[in-house]
Amino acid sequence: MEKIEIVKNLTVIFRSVLKNDSLVLTDELTANDVDHWDSLSHMLIISEIENKFSIKFKLKDLNKMRNVGDMIEIISSKL
Amino acid sequence: MSEFIIRNATINDIPLLVDTIIEAEKSGTDVLSYSSIFGLSEEEVRKYLNDILYEEIDGCELSVSSFIVAECNGKTAGAVSAWIEGAEGIPSAVIKGNLLNYSLPKRCIENAVRVNEIIRDLDIEYFPNTIQLGAGYVVSEFRGKGLLGLLESEIIARLAQTNPNVKQVWAQIFYCNIPSIRTFEKANFELVLTKESSNEEILKYLPSNKKVLMKKELVVK
Repeated sequence: MEKIEIVKNLTVIFRSVLKNDSLVLTDELTANDVDHWDSLSHMLIISEIENKFSIKFKLKDLNKMRNVGDMIEIISSKL
Repeated sequence: MSEFIIRNATINDIPLLVDTIIEAEKSGTDVLSYSSIFGLSEEEVRKYLNDILYEEIDGCELSVSSFIVAECNGKTAGAVSAWIEGAEGIPSAVIKGNLLNYSLPKRCIENAVRVNEIIRDLDIEYFPNTIQLGAGYVVSEFRGKGLLGLLESEIIARLAQTNPNVKQVWAQIFYCNIPSIRTFEKANFELVLTKESSNEEILKYLPSNKKVLMKKELVVK
């Protein structure tokens, strides 16, 4: 899957979980930059990503994700 | 001199740390958010918190390394947690969210989807590069000796010593937890923000519909 396709799917997930229709994902975006990206929302984002892409993250994968760019890279590596 | 020995928590302390997290979450009420949000019994919550703590992932309120423990005559008497927010470049909320997603069954996540929108009214962000105080608990037979305040000042001192660039300590407390708020006031914390939800349904999931944010500036010596 191309990066642009991953970003498109991630945008739908992030906007839905965070209830923010204008959210634009960038590689540098972190939880500190977005309102309501708390632990519960993050858990739901990760769960939705696993469902959408039919993947399962390892805990060590998850703890490497410093920003959306890292997230995209790890998703790519699993597809 | 204090009758208590204070030390870093280890995995052998996990049963006490689970009690600490659960009692702090309840804040003196019967509402345990981990139960109500994820649809779990208290026993199940204990099991999953135990599993999560055993992962020994640092940097959040569910990390063994975030806790210190007080002992008195070989008995554990209480514990508190605190951490440097975003110390390794990852917000504690992300680390905690990862642990929850990894450890809890899917049915819990489905339950949480419905609740997320209701409880986010009380969401308060953690500021990077600050000390965040988390859960605190004193075993009943050791109460009334100021142990909670002692543990909190000790963990702040330890984190401040190893992180001299950190200048502030923050704590988020449910408004119903009056003893905890009084302890912070005695330690010269100031009230910075009160957040309240008008949605009464929130009381099904959280101990209070009101949360306070308290802050203390660290004095440079």
